[in-house]
Amino acid sequence: MAYGVTQQMIDTYGETVFKLSLNKQTRRGDAVRLLDFEAIEAARAETGLTDEEIAERIGLLPEQVSVVRVFTERKHHKIDQHRRIFHLGGGKRWKKEEYSNPVERLHIRKEAMMIREALNFNPELAQRYIEKGYWINETLNGYLLEHAINTPDATAIIHPGGELTYKEFKTQVDQLTIGLMELGLGKSDIVAVQLPNILDFIVSYFAITAFGGVMQTIHMPYRDADIEFLLGHSKARAVICLPAFKEFPTADVMLGMKEKLGSLEHVITIGNNASEGAVALESLKIEGEPNIGNPPVGSDPFLLLYTSGTTSNPKGVPLTYQNMIGNARLSVPEFHMTASDRNISAAPFSHLYGLYNFHVALCAGATNILLPAFSPPDLARTIEETKATTVFLGPPHAASMINAGLMEAHDFSSVRFSMFSGSACPPQLLETYRSNIPGTKIGQLWGMTETAGATYCRDDGAEDIPLRSAGPAAPGNEVRIVSGEDGAPLPAGTEGDLQVRGSSVFPGYLDNPEANADAFTEDGWFKSGDLAIIDDDGNLTLTGRTKDVISRGGVKFNPADIEDLIIQHPKVEQAAMVPMPDPVLGEKACCFVTLLGEEKVTLDELCSLLDDKKIPKNKWPERLEIIDEMPLTPTRKVIKRRLIEKL
Amino acid sequence: MAEEFNPEEVKKACESYVKKKGALAFGLANVETLERIAPPGCGPLSMLPKTKSVLCVGVGGGTRGSWAADAKTLAYIGDTETMAYRIAYGLAFYIEAKFGYRSIFVPPDMNPEKGARVPMQSLKLHAEVAGIGARSMAGDILLHPEFGMMYYASVFTEMELPPDEPMADNPCPHPSCVTLYEQSGQTPCMRFCPVECLSGSIGEDGKVEEMNFDAHACAEMSQQYEAIPSVLLDTLDAKDPIERGMALHGPENQVIWYKLSIGAGELLSLCYECMRVCPITQTAPMANPVARGAGMRQKVVEAEAAARVEHEAEQNGVKGG
Repeated sequence: MAYGVTQQMIDTYGETVFKLSLNKQTRRGDAVRLLDFEAIEAARAETGLTDEEIAERIGLLPEQVSVVRVFTERKHHKIDQHRRIFHLGGGKRWKKEEYSNPVERLHIRKEAMMIREALNFNPELAQRYIEKGYWINETLNGYLLEHAINTPDATAIIHPGGELTYKEFKTQVDQLTIGLMELGLGKSDIVAVQLPNILDFIVSYFAITAFGGVMQTIHMPYRDADIEFLLGHSKARAVICLPAFKEFPTADVMLGMKEKLGSLEHVITIGNNASEGAVALESLKIEGEPNIGNPPVGSDPFLLLYTSGTTSNPKGVPLTYQNMIGNARLSVPEFHMTASDRNISAAPFSHLYGLYNFHVALCAGATNILLPAFSPPDLARTIEETKATTVFLGPPHAASMINAGLMEAHDFSSVRFSMFSGSACPPQLLETYRSNIPGTKIGQLWGMTETAGATYCRDDGAEDIPLRSAGPAAPGNEVRIVSGEDGAPLPAGTEGDLQVRGSSVFPGYLDNPEANADAFTEDGWFKSGDLAIIDDDGNLTLTGRTKDVISRGGVKFNPADIEDLIIQHPKVEQAAMVPMPDPVLGEKACCFVTLLGEEKVTLDELCSLLDDKKIPKNKWPERLEIIDEMPLTPTRKVIKRRLIEKL
Repeated sequence: MAEEFNPEEVKKACESYVKKKGALAFGLANVETLERIAPPGCGPLSMLPKTKSVLCVGVGGGTRGSWAADAKTLAYIGDTETMAYRIAYGLAFYIEAKFGYRSIFVPPDMNPEKGARVPMQSLKLHAEVAGIGARSMAGDILLHPEFGMMYYASVFTEMELPPDEPMADNPCPHPSCVTLYEQSGQTPCMRFCPVECLSGSIGEDGKVEEMNFDAHACAEMSQQYEAIPSVLLDTLDAKDPIERGMALHGPENQVIWYKLSIGAGELLSLCYECMRVCPITQTAPMANPVARGAGMRQKVVEAEAAARVEHEAEQNGVKGG
């Protein structure tokens, strides 16, 4: 180093030089003005010395002092101090407690950056979404604050325990936000939630996202193996759950995960008491208003949902406010949702569909009604008691209410609009449902975890559309059908691979380069994996899954239609067809069924049924497997890979 | 050899000159005193060996309005030091031209051999010894009972003029500051310093007993030039490309480069080609300082009006023909 200076010399003399230099100055009395030369001389070292004077005093060369001083000054230098000048003057006085260094205040943990780094949007499309107003600076808590200020006494939530106004709801969220922040949670930290549709879920959701955190949902039926995979993959820092759910000791399992996974730091269980090692949610509710230094903004990720994993391990889907809340905001006018609506979701909030309709109602300033867990009587009773005006449900929810005679037994007259999604919607079922509520409108919505509400029927469309399709693309989105062979766009009315592109479409899977490599086309279309038809008016009808397609001797067919026919057999409850390897034809169809009763069904009986229905022989199953229970996702989709594993 | 002049009259003439130019305060510092107090190599004789007199001017800060503005605005409009420099620069020429003695405007800069904290000459020391300011609790910023905070500039001359005395009293601390200090242990300047660089004590006599000033803490907030080497070193140290980019392109750092480019003049500044080809810029009558000064505007306006009439007549003629 220059002039014989060593790091050791800097370490040894640095602080002494710094203190003697003009960096630190002390004056006693007023010696210069009084021309008290004796005092001036005596105080030279205190008033600050030049490098030459320091060198003379401590026995270094002046040049060495300069080097030592400069390096020590650098050690002391904080380059962001000048930002403070932006907080001075213009009637303001310096208040230390009101200032925080933005570099420190806006810091995000390295581990928490993982989800932010997964946000790989197509830049040209992003620019378009911003220009068109599909993406704006909006957040979940921004809407809550807006309603708490503008309509504080409006009912935000109706739940089994009572009602909450927007003001009361905001207060609860503020309290929990403080507690979660005191645990050290911050921007982009992932907090998993495994709760039913109860008030604690919603308050937790808003509190997690209030400080910029990301909520990961875990479906209620998930057990050890699924939970370990999900928490391990997301690297969630905290989980909020029930102490126990039915026979499942949730808290104990989560505490076990805490030991097993280095990333999980906090297990929070609802209620006032928690087992050892866990934290009681109620103890985190602290009076006051949270001081959030790094508040969320529209481009931030706030949700981490996982695909149901019908064909592979679940994939993490990060969603930004602009994706998800934008999708909801744009849906409000399409559904004519207003602040006077009361919305109920039969779907769980752990699933995109449940959160989607909650968001739509929130954006409109409407009331959300919580149904903790679906049962046909509970849904029917709650709709009647709360006079729900909009209902978001799946075909199985409706079917079970109809079959139990609940729609006749309860007053559904308040329901002006019902939206169906989640699984195939038989037209007869929808027609029956609609006929039970005179004057009501119905619709179908198609969406995936990756797309949010991609297409849906409008509540002012033609009456027959909802019976056969999931409507046209949502505002901000586009859908198209392409050939499975060469990816060429197909004309209207042709079945093919469904692709979707738009402002609600996710930015790519979390930490999954293999899945991401095949998820999008170069120009930003997401390959949904669904088979569908789009009619001349842009209305979408799903016909099956591309990965379910069976290729028998090179002739491909979609088994969904065949499965629909097989479940009409009086002995069959559920049916699913999967490809089985064949040395001659490549693939043949194997049909798995569960039975309605004790009486067994044969392959010949099923083939006879299909023959009666004029189904070509190449689509008939060539093997039958009767099983006790069909492997299903929490959203009641058949996990076909589990069936294939049985072959 | 220069002509003989009455030193008192010369002093008054110099004072009159600088006050006409906008200075608020004027005084002369005793050279011998300065030599005794300044660190070795930092006295007037080190700069101009035959210095006989040190003339000091004080110029007021910004307008009263500027003190009500936010700090980043005040940083631009409250800083009138260049006005003090201009006056002192003129005074050096004035003394040479009028009285024939060699003079220099004292460079108000840091000593390039000694770094950012050591000035070539202490203008504060000059002004204090000349009696136009006294050291305050606020990091030894000089204060004057009539003019408050001023910016100072100095002239060294080989002409011997009668020096002034330091101020008899120090206006700092103000009685209200003493009261606040007694109540809270802090004066207002200590209390509201954003980097807490000031501390000290006031004695029972109401005078400053001890003043501590952390010049480094003050400078790292207010003197951005100190940040440049740190910014560059941070850039080299940064592992992450975004951090590296922000070290150079963060908004506050971009301002540093902007300031540098202004200081570098046309080399790093705008090319102005757009303005070179702009007809408004190039033909605007009052853009020309000569025209502004010579009452040319009316002539230009009249000439343009005449040209328009002629053009219209031509157009009509073409139509008629």
